[in-house]
Amino acid sequence: MAKPSSPYRYLPLTEATYYILLALDEPRHGYAVMQTVAEISQGTVEVGPGTLYGAFSKLEKEGLIVKIKEDDRRKTYGLSPQGEEVLAEQVRRLGIMERVGARWRARRQQARS
Amino acid sequence: MNRRKVRKFKAFWAWQDEKEEAWLRSMSQQGLHLTEPLAPIVYSFLEGEPRDLVYRLDYVQRMSGDERGRYLQLFQDSGWEHLGANGGWQYFRKPVEAGDAPEIFTDPESKVEKYKGLLAYMFILLPFFVMLVSRIGSRPPAYRALDVVIFILFLLYMYAFLRIAHRVRQLRRL
Repeated sequence: MAKPSSPYRYLPLTEATYYILLALDEPRHGYAVMQTVAEISQGTVEVGPGTLYGAFSKLEKEGLIVKIKEDDRRKTYGLSPQGEEVLAEQVRRLGIMERVGARWRARRQQARS
Repeated sequence: MNRRKVRKFKAFWAWQDEKEEAWLRSMSQQGLHLTEPLAPIVYSFLEGEPRDLVYRLDYVQRMSGDERGRYLQLFQDSGWEHLGANGGWQYFRKPVEAGDAPEIFTDPESKVEKYKGLLAYMFILLPFFVMLVSRIGSRPPAYRALDVVIFILFLLYMYAFLRIAHRVRQLRRL
């Protein structure tokens, strides 16, 4: 059991980790996560099995995801409360980044016209 | 068609995994497809139609039977064929679709983790090497040749360590 700590130490998430956590909003096994990531990222992010296997071990060790079901073929994971907290903080920061970026784009367009 | 078995001898060092992957792919493009079993330096191929198959190597040491099954299942689910293992190196293969060479590690961060696993395993060998090297010169003169072999192995080990650590630094800069 990982000890509770501030979500800040896990941020920023890599693009792959961000989508993996989003995909685990509902319990999923490895390959289902790979398919979901490709789909929700609109094909911009693909996660290979080596990357996903490593991410599952690392995120479980950090306590951001929890094993929900396990049989001899596959493990199913879901977000832990700590994982939800980290994801929520990442989404908040991405929102700030997106808003300042949009303001910059608008100023640039104005200056050009 | 009569399928011929072809045996090739080729040495790749621990830091040349990507070179080995490229070589195996070029063999398949010539119609020589890697088969099991795999031994260091010895590669066994089966002759067939030339195909564009991509080979990828992972490094995994010490995994329980159940965990190994789930690890391999994930690769199988995503279309990778497991050809076998050789000293911790896992050999996977997948056909190239739509011109894109598929990867098992899709970002530099996870590639770093693979090489860190390899370094960690090599680190275990360090006390063993230190012990052997510390005894160099203390053996009777008849064993001089053994000292030389031990010293060369130690240099190779150090060189491999530095090459892989350098690869990790390169990947971290991406």
